[in-house]
Amino acid sequence: MPVAEADHGAARGGEGERMTRLDATRVLVRALGTDKTTPIVASLGHPAYDLFAAGDRHANFYTWGSMGLASSIGLGLAMARPDRRVVVLDGDGSLLMNLGSLATVGWTKPANLILIVWDNGSYATTGGQDTATAHGADLAAAAIAMGIHQSVTVRTESDLLDVFTRARTVDGPWMIAAKVEESPPTAKPPLDCVLIKHRFMASQS
Amino acid sequence: MTTAQSRDLLTWAGGVCAGLTAAGITHVVYVPDNPLSHVLSALEGYPRIRTTLATREEEAFGIAAGLYLGGVQSAVMLQSSGLGNSLNAITSLVVPYQIPMLILISMRGDAGEWNSAQVPMGRAVRPILESMGIPHATVESAETTAATVELVARTAFDTRVSGACLLPRRITVPRAAGKANA
Repeated sequence: MPVAEADHGAARGGEGERMTRLDATRVLVRALGTDKTTPIVASLGHPAYDLFAAGDRHANFYTWGSMGLASSIGLGLAMARPDRRVVVLDGDGSLLMNLGSLATVGWTKPANLILIVWDNGSYATTGGQDTATAHGADLAAAAIAMGIHQSVTVRTESDLLDVFTRARTVDGPWMIAAKVEESPPTAKPPLDCVLIKHRFMASQS
Repeated sequence: MTTAQSRDLLTWAGGVCAGLTAAGITHVVYVPDNPLSHVLSALEGYPRIRTTLATREEEAFGIAAGLYLGGVQSAVMLQSSGLGNSLNAITSLVVPYQIPMLILISMRGDAGEWNSAQVPMGRAVRPILESMGIPHATVESAETTAATVELVARTAFDTRVSGACLLPRRITVPRAAGKANA
């Protein structure tokens, strides 16, 4: 269902409207508005840098390591806090490192988990080497195959906003594979891991 | 405590469940192995403890970290071979962010092992834990399992330094000790 819809929407959008990861991140942060509690877990490197640049919030959990585990951290959070929507900002290269996570999410089916993958087809943080998604790997299809039925590929800011808005009210788990262009990061989150944790946990209490 | 739970204290697997409960752990994230199946069976008598099976040990540490960030104390339960799959999660998430959890390790490669491929990692478990700054204690008997599990877990949550509790094969598979192919 949603997959076909969004893919058609993307076809209408055309190449000219492709978004950068930073612009896409801003769409989400703007959509959250003054919401101070919805947790966002960001994968290390550029996804975390762009989340910080788009809008630092105490409910942002920036990882500085553990490549591949953003979706797992998000799953744990979603199980611990069924009263909250939990947003994960992953990268294509990172998710490819922990594809089993899709199977676990598909099995446990946390209704409140929104897994967003910034798919730029490259390991941008490490110098732009191609990922498998640049050669045919389809993460949204993989999610469906693993039991995550609300799985969508988007290519434009308006499609991203539409699906994200739906995901905040319609039960998931959701997988949003957002095709993005690389953009050079402009800022970095705090480097103090314990500070990040304390701020985050205080925002959730 | 129910009758079934007090009977469980006589077994090491029941002791694990009692220790988890006493330490306030309400979620176990695990990758199964043969001895741990006894813990999973015993956990059926503890409905307040939820379990989640991960596809890989590193993933289990990520899930456990997320649980803690959401206010849930958890244990990661794995075979010692899976510690090797977990090192980056422990060293770049669990330790630097000071995210505490109980790490319950079913040992392979120690006394009673029959599979030589399990021996190198079994030998490496304690030095690896020590080099990562993860304190560890080894369960000495079925009767003391509950107390050891509870102590390691409580210390981890109080100090925010994750701790490992090792379950040796002489306790989890006592009949196998010294018998090849057991």
